[in-house]
Amino acid sequence: MLSIKNLHASVEGEEILKGINLEIKAGEVHAIMGPNGSGKSTLSQVLAGSETFEVTEGEITLNGENLLDLETEERAREGVFLAFQYPVEIPGVSNLQFLRTAVNAMRTHRGEPEMNAAEFMKHAKEVSKQVDLDPAFLKRGVNEGFSGGEKKRNEILQALLLQPKLAILDETDSGLDIDALHVVSDGVNALRAKDRAILMVTHYQRLLNHIVPDYVHVLAGGKIVKSGGRELAHELEERGYGWLGVKDEEASASSAASSSTQ
Amino acid sequence: MKSAPTLSSAFLEPAGDFLPAPLLELRKQRGTALVDMPLPTRKTENWKYSSRHLKLSDELAATLPSTGKDGTSLSMPGYRVVFRNGVMVPEASDYPDLKGVSIQRFADLSDGEASGLAERMDNTLDSHAVQMARLNSARFEDGLYIQLDKEAVLDQPLFIVHEVTASSSGSAYPRIYVDAARHSQMTLVEEYISSGSEPVMVNTVAEFSLAEGAQITSVRLTLEGENVQHIGATGVRQAESSRFESHTVGFGGPLRRHDLQVRLEGQGAECKLNGVVVTQGKQHYDNHTSIDHVAAHCNSEETYRNIAADQSHAIFNGRIHIHQDAQKSNANMNNKNLLLSTGAEIDTKPELEIYADDVQCAHGATIGQLDKTSLFYLISRGIGRREANTLLTMAFINELVEQIPVEAVREAAQLRLNDFFDQTFEEV
Repeated sequence: MLSIKNLHASVEGEEILKGINLEIKAGEVHAIMGPNGSGKSTLSQVLAGSETFEVTEGEITLNGENLLDLETEERAREGVFLAFQYPVEIPGVSNLQFLRTAVNAMRTHRGEPEMNAAEFMKHAKEVSKQVDLDPAFLKRGVNEGFSGGEKKRNEILQALLLQPKLAILDETDSGLDIDALHVVSDGVNALRAKDRAILMVTHYQRLLNHIVPDYVHVLAGGKIVKSGGRELAHELEERGYGWLGVKDEEASASSAASSSTQ
Repeated sequence: MKSAPTLSSAFLEPAGDFLPAPLLELRKQRGTALVDMPLPTRKTENWKYSSRHLKLSDELAATLPSTGKDGTSLSMPGYRVVFRNGVMVPEASDYPDLKGVSIQRFADLSDGEASGLAERMDNTLDSHAVQMARLNSARFEDGLYIQLDKEAVLDQPLFIVHEVTASSSGSAYPRIYVDAARHSQMTLVEEYISSGSEPVMVNTVAEFSLAEGAQITSVRLTLEGENVQHIGATGVRQAESSRFESHTVGFGGPLRRHDLQVRLEGQGAECKLNGVVVTQGKQHYDNHTSIDHVAAHCNSEETYRNIAADQSHAIFNGRIHIHQDAQKSNANMNNKNLLLSTGAEIDTKPELEIYADDVQCAHGATIGQLDKTSLFYLISRGIGRREANTLLTMAFINELVEQIPVEAVREAAQLRLNDFFDQTFEEV
């Protein structure tokens, strides 16, 4: 489904991604782990089409279609969804209006009729329950005054409403307490489907206890330095990144922190 | 040294001799005082950004005909008075005889009523700060005098449609005076529209005098065309515990100028002034507001938003003057500005003069652009750029548009905003 070949990307002339190769088939869940600054978030943003980064080399295709030829909104309509690490607060635009506009943009793209306000409200309320988000949040400004956990649940709500082909989850577990982590994980697990690919980007192993990946990759210095099955995540948990020749000051501290919460 | 430009004498020949004698007399006096009036220049502080857009050629001095076809205006679920080129059109107006509410055109006033009005006219405006309103006082041909009796409540909004017909060049001088007795209430909508394409000027004045406990809501919508210079002034005087609320929505033109002056003269009076301005192309819009806290324990709350696209220019100048005796004043002024293009310009200037020591006074002004991160977030959900930009721009003014208490105005403003968004934002 998703094929990334020799992807190089830079920001303001500094190369962040230095030749990424990755193949994800429909139905698979892949996790990308790595220390801070390794390029994980850059990869997510580049896939979604952020204009902050310049792709200097390589290719990305989704079901054979060259994503690099498409604008951000066109990629979204083709089924790319990025759950943001830091969801944006947009006061003055109601969450409901935002969600309905997005869903209707997708429907229009697929040649389906738009949903009217009442229909959409009913649908959105049901899906809100699935991620344990009070429907009152639909009436607030987009992410306005939401806690960290509420923002992440709102991201998963969007994924459930938009039903993407490729869901990229950027540090979806960061800032979540253990209850919220369960809710978010349940939401992500509900997204698992045989015609959908999921790419999880995470610093910590703990999310992978709840959403078990088929493959794990270690990203360091802008390249994938190691790939393996789900057991690789456990190995990283125990041994840190050091045995791979990767420096990470935070890794030991963070794995200690994440084990202490469990 | 080049001498400063003065007002052409062509402007001092008013028409409309059907006014009652006391008003004709007042107009004549005001005209005499304007002989050789210096026109604002770049060096005139309150006109420094706008003087070059003020183009008073002799052709503009002509009186426009008061006959002609009505333009399209708001669909109005309320009472309606139509002015064409500054003269009331009775056959297009529709309002009932209401108990305690007197709505009269100047031309219909008895000499006694007219001399009462003449004594009060211009008493809400500082003629030095609002110099161009003086031209209205010398030229008005008709007007509307609204008197609310004690405790009278107008049950529906009164729409005043000011249409200017521009099939020839000239100018119009509409005028309103509202006298609200104790605890009376009304909502008044002024809508400014135009038809035709010759260069014209509208110079308009609205005055509000609020007695104790009176509550007036004033809504002002300017939708005139690219051939219309609009110079407007609104003056307000408030007695004890009265409340004045103003909602202005303005779209740009070659020159749009609005001076809004409020004097809080009785304890416990409060005002709320909201404004939205949208400019595009080479349009120019200049809002000058002034709030005088004269008495103690008064509140003022002011929120203005400017949006400027293309090479347009918007100005906000907000003055708050807290007089020596105005202890326990509470004044809040907030002006936020959105530049939608690198060629657009916005100037904002808060002016605070505080002479009392026990007051709460806050002001804030910002100028920014649409947030790229927010835009990325919206389009990453498949929302098109035009719609995403529209959502973000509406988010900037939604709060003010939603507060406009008259649905027909909200709808008319939204329609015009939609045109603006279509012309300003593009899909990639």
